[in-house]
Amino acid sequence: MKINKLFIKAIFSTALVLTIASCKKWVDYNPHEDFKQTELDYLKSEGDYRTMVVSIYTPLQWLNQATVVGEIASDNAVSGGESASDVLSLQQIDDMNHNANNSTLTELWQAAYEGINRANYLHQYKQVNPEGQTVSFAGKEALYGEVYFLRAYYYFHLVKFFGDVPLFVDSRLGLTQSKTLKRSERAKVYAQIESDLLAAIGVLPSVQLEKGRVTKYAAQALLGKVYLYQQKYTEAASMLENVVNSGVFTLNSDYGKIFLSQNENGSESVFEIQYSNASPYYNWNAVTRGQGNYAAQQCGVRGLNGSDSMPYAAGWSTNLPTTDLASIFENGDQRKQVTILDIEAYKKAHPTYNISYQVAPYKNTGLYNQKYLPRKGETSGQIELNYGNNYRIIRYADVLLMAAEAIVGSGGSEMKAQDYLNQVRQRAFGNNSHNITATGNALYLAIINERRLELAMEGDRFFDLVRTGLAETKIAGFVKGKNEVFPIPMMEINVSGLTQNSGY
Amino acid sequence: MKVIVTMLFVILLCGLGHEKAFAQSGPKPGKLADTTKLTELVVVGYGSRKVTKISGAISTVKGADIEKLQPIRLEDALQGRASGVSIINSGSPGAKPTVFVRGIPSFTGTDPLVIIDGVPQTLTDLNAINGSDIESMSVLKDAASTAIYGVKGGNGVIVVTTKSGKKSQKVDITYNAYYGIQEVVNMVGVLNATEYGAIVNEGSRLAGGDIIFSDLSKLGKGTNWQNEVFKKAPIQSHNFTARGGSDKMTYFLSAGALQQGGIVGGMDKSNFTRGNMTANLSFDLTRKLKFIMNTTGVVLNSRGVQENSFNSVLGSAINFDPTVSVANTNPNTVGKYGYSNLLLSEIYNPLTKLDNTYNENKGTKIYGKFEFQYDVWDNLKLSTRFGYTKYDNYAKSFTPLVFYGPMNVDNTMNADGSTVTGKHNQVFQDKSGNFNYTWESFANYNFKLKEVHDFETVLGFAMAKNYGNAMGVSRQDVPFNSWEFADFTAATGTNTATNPSAITGYYYQYFRRNLSSFARVNYDYKEKYLASFTLRRDGSYAFGIDNKFANFYSGSLGWVVSQEEFFKSKFINNLKVRGSYGAIGNENVNPQYVEIVTGGPSYGPTGNSNGYNYGNVFYPGSTVASAANNGLRWERQIQSNFGFDMIFHKYKFSLSADVFAKKVDGLLFTPSASLYLGTVPIPTDNIGSTTTTGFDLTFAYYETILKKVKIGNTITLTTTKNEVTETNTDGTAKIYGGYYFNGQSQSVTVFEKGFSPGYFYGYKTDGLFQNEQEIAAWASQPGAKPGDIKFVDVNKDGVINDKDKTDIGNPFPLFTLGWNLTVEYKKFDFVAFTYVSYGNDIYRAYERNANYTNKDRIILERWTGEGSTNSAQNPRYSFKDENNNSRVSDRYVEDGSFIKLKNIQIGYTLDNFTPKIKLSKVRLYVQVKNAFVLTRYSGFDPEIAGGVLDSGIDRGAYPQARTYAIGLDVKF
Repeated sequence: MKINKLFIKAIFSTALVLTIASCKKWVDYNPHEDFKQTELDYLKSEGDYRTMVVSIYTPLQWLNQATVVGEIASDNAVSGGESASDVLSLQQIDDMNHNANNSTLTELWQAAYEGINRANYLHQYKQVNPEGQTVSFAGKEALYGEVYFLRAYYYFHLVKFFGDVPLFVDSRLGLTQSKTLKRSERAKVYAQIESDLLAAIGVLPSVQLEKGRVTKYAAQALLGKVYLYQQKYTEAASMLENVVNSGVFTLNSDYGKIFLSQNENGSESVFEIQYSNASPYYNWNAVTRGQGNYAAQQCGVRGLNGSDSMPYAAGWSTNLPTTDLASIFENGDQRKQVTILDIEAYKKAHPTYNISYQVAPYKNTGLYNQKYLPRKGETSGQIELNYGNNYRIIRYADVLLMAAEAIVGSGGSEMKAQDYLNQVRQRAFGNNSHNITATGNALYLAIINERRLELAMEGDRFFDLVRTGLAETKIAGFVKGKNEVFPIPMMEINVSGLTQNSGY
Repeated sequence: MKVIVTMLFVILLCGLGHEKAFAQSGPKPGKLADTTKLTELVVVGYGSRKVTKISGAISTVKGADIEKLQPIRLEDALQGRASGVSIINSGSPGAKPTVFVRGIPSFTGTDPLVIIDGVPQTLTDLNAINGSDIESMSVLKDAASTAIYGVKGGNGVIVVTTKSGKKSQKVDITYNAYYGIQEVVNMVGVLNATEYGAIVNEGSRLAGGDIIFSDLSKLGKGTNWQNEVFKKAPIQSHNFTARGGSDKMTYFLSAGALQQGGIVGGMDKSNFTRGNMTANLSFDLTRKLKFIMNTTGVVLNSRGVQENSFNSVLGSAINFDPTVSVANTNPNTVGKYGYSNLLLSEIYNPLTKLDNTYNENKGTKIYGKFEFQYDVWDNLKLSTRFGYTKYDNYAKSFTPLVFYGPMNVDNTMNADGSTVTGKHNQVFQDKSGNFNYTWESFANYNFKLKEVHDFETVLGFAMAKNYGNAMGVSRQDVPFNSWEFADFTAATGTNTATNPSAITGYYYQYFRRNLSSFARVNYDYKEKYLASFTLRRDGSYAFGIDNKFANFYSGSLGWVVSQEEFFKSKFINNLKVRGSYGAIGNENVNPQYVEIVTGGPSYGPTGNSNGYNYGNVFYPGSTVASAANNGLRWERQIQSNFGFDMIFHKYKFSLSADVFAKKVDGLLFTPSASLYLGTVPIPTDNIGSTTTTGFDLTFAYYETILKKVKIGNTITLTTTKNEVTETNTDGTAKIYGGYYFNGQSQSVTVFEKGFSPGYFYGYKTDGLFQNEQEIAAWASQPGAKPGDIKFVDVNKDGVINDKDKTDIGNPFPLFTLGWNLTVEYKKFDFVAFTYVSYGNDIYRAYERNANYTNKDRIILERWTGEGSTNSAQNPRYSFKDENNNSRVSDRYVEDGSFIKLKNIQIGYTLDNFTPKIKLSKVRLYVQVKNAFVLTRYSGFDPEIAGGVLDSGIDRGAYPQARTYAIGLDVKF
């Protein structure tokens, strides 16, 4: 019995000692136990840097609804949808009674800031990585050109939509910086955009091996646009001339082909946001966070059915072109047929397609956004979320029209401006009998009008109307001094204590 | 240190008497208790203590009471019976209720710790326990009783003790069974087809549109979809137990089977089945060494329907078009059930939805303990215990191709039965498993000094680990679009360049580790002066690197006044006053690190995706995927409690009452951070505090009238008042919750400084605008027309906007009350249990509010012209809601107070059988659960579970059923 007692005592004491000894170890934690890579494990090689830059592009895709809002807010398109209670955030923008509690605008705000934070993170660790080591490799500077272009792109998006916005460039914001920022004046944001784009232009290559990566010309074109939005016409003209004079871009002779999938990243493409059906996505809680273009599904014809050779797929009848837009195209302008699908006319013209569809149940115009209409075979997986239609963000035609506008604005050669404008018109009409010969303000207005014709449904219309001061006359319900910018999202006001734009 | 350890090891064994003490199942009706009741032992952490010596706050429910209730889940037996515990039940078979012990101190994980026979488990595990196996359940409520569980004890502790055998006793065999039928209690009043047609016409016309139904007279009553989806469902239960023992061992054996059908969709689609086998064994290996092995194996099977959302089965039954016929009348389309030509997405015929719901869960669980107890001396006992829970679950679900209607945009099947291009059916299969164990070693040493100073001490260590993993697959193209063939091996989908999700798979694993040491000294002087002190030190793998260990302590004092010489009351038989103070914690956090993730799309909460396509070639990308908070630590609660226990008037009455206050700081919650931080998920932080104060009491009264009628009454009262006192330095951090969808995604609840946790947050209303002048005179409210709701300009800035949102209700009751009445007369026995919840509000969120969805009947009283009504519940109805009448406002808040007769039972006992029959006792009973509900709430059921931020939000929550049952208890 004695031995037994000792034995038991020994067991208990050993257990006690072991327990105490293993204390610290038992509750220590290393993320590697969960097979997780941390900051300190990363940015150790060229590959790490390059892979990380890829993800700065990712939020471009999340800005999916920027193009939709740019049209629905303008006189080009209505929200459509199933009913007044469907896609409410877009309905409100269409009716110009949107408020700060708008899920679409919140998404457009937060997505852009994620892009900025991703760019800032690479900026922060450009010289040394988080462990303090320097990773050098050929092409690092050019790679950083992409970083700075993208940061500029995100800030430009924010300043266009929201006006004054928080501005930070040194690093990814940590938790401690939450609620610490105030809105910076628009001019300061623009100054940062310009300096980032100039830095990018200095190092970016003219050609990228992979389609869709930004080039020097994309940066120049974007900078030209940024200047134009600030009425810096002289700087805009010379910057845009760089792109025109490079000789790299040509207008696609057939306007109708620009928007087909085989012409993505084509001869006219200066900058495109890439979408693809090659990596299908299925998260309905964050519909814009995959590789597909959600907007394509949105604008499709409801309940569309037809023979196999009928090219279009069905959708949800949002973002419908207005009859006003359809009415402004002159006879002979090929762009009308390409921009707008009149479904009833199309059905009559193609009896063999055996088309049936449901009339758009709300705000029906009978017209559809053909540039980005969903097409059969161009999606995959969860079909609504994975259309591959790239957004043509800056086309060469846009560059020509911007250059023409800048030249006129800066008092440059009107002949040159006419030439740029007429290059675009000749392609549209297939002849030069519709060339514009106007001068002075008439020429300026012709250029602005041409932007609507050429770029309709591509997301610029609302912002063009605002920056040219035409919004109040063209947009029903537009309140001057208020609707030039959208409201700062309510959550940001609540949490960060930012000031709201006036009128909201 | 050595000295202290040696000192603490000087002991006395508290004896294994507690089984004996519990064998007697509480007082008999007619008299509360004779003095023997006061010798009962209550099981506390790492030991048990005589009830008269307890100076903390503990509520206990006896096994006998639990048996009468026949609960599906054990929490049901605590509701209204254990004071200080708030329980909000769910109607879904087997679903976990919301349980708060003494209010809502914490935001993260409010589940109390569950200890089963000394082994830590979780509230979820209470689904696996058979009510017939329970000896008693105690709820440890104050710091004095929970501090020994330290960082695990912050939400209170439920201590479950199961039955065990008795030494040298002949086998004692019982059989219990009951069978019942369940049905729905209330239905939501919605429009019939004619009324619906008229409203839709009006809505369209007011929005400038056409009349939708040109001839209302053809519509008739239409279909009430709720009648179609609610079914009568059976419930049955059978249990065998055997207990006994020899002089060297004891045993308790039990086998049980329970099957409950769901009232939504019936047994086929919604059910819960449980099979239990328990063996609790103890062996005296030597005179001093005892070995205890408790083992329970459980099989848990269930099927479920989507619930608590506008497009769930119940949500669809409320919202779906009533003009549609039940059966499909169009011979040119597939599908058994009718379809709507107006509702073209989101909401479908609920029968189609139900018909196409296929899933199953099959779980097996084994839990128990191995324990050695060694009596070094009579008064020193060493114990080492390995407690474990092993759970394995297999889940399968099948999403078939479905045709919802010719124009429905969500169709995956065409009207002719062919597949919509690009759509697939899909089967999902998942296998998960976890193993949790706690290894504890402790010493109990009890001793007396000078015969009057009585000490009971315990000192010990515990190591705990939880780990588990899961794997799952999905595959498209199940043959014949059928559940019968729904299996990965039978499906034929193969990944292609355009469809890489034909076959998918995943795997994940997780673990947690804790290390603790603890000590306690209980002291009493002649059972007159009581004291208890507890210390606990906890380490957690999950705390930030700067805060690895936490210390907790508590102390309590008690004074048994009735033991004093000077106390000479004939009226008061026993009186004890007691108080406690201490600190405990809550560790519901995960380890902190800045993770870099490489890959593609994210399916996480913020959709923080990676990667990009360059010319249709996908390139994976990498980014920061998490943020680290290295200072992260436990929530710390300081609790104080003051109470008394009194027995009076010839032992007929007893009253226990407690007042308490809790203050939590370092509250763990995820702060709302600036959106400009981007989409990296924000980690939790210790930034909040809350205070909870409350009062709970238990009152019992036993009486015998007319010489033979024994009446027993037990009443419990629970009140708590909670307030968030701190969130962050400027008080701007808020947690939003209670999300629902009515056209826009809405959030109703918020956890915010200065308010009760999870209160309803929205606009206040003030009637309706009767005319244009009223609109002009009101604060600027864009879009308002006569007949629209007046929202109150709370901040008086002349504009109605988000800043005017304010407190519009509280989902948690001001108080709850339970009243258990027992009556015995000769061989008849009667139990009625009534539960009252007062002051809980409900937010009605089950209406989708789309143009063509059905509406609550309240719309019949809508505004139709100046002076028709001024109730904000009843604005004008138009398809266009320019005034946003459907925003979150008190329009949707209803008083959810209720009185429920939760259980009523009449039994008759037969005994005195002749020895030939070998029966000693047979009891037959009839029982009705949820016999009636008295409430003003217009939805299904005013009890809506959902934790801190989702309780009381009715998105079409699964209601509790009314059950009619007959039962049989047999003792052989």
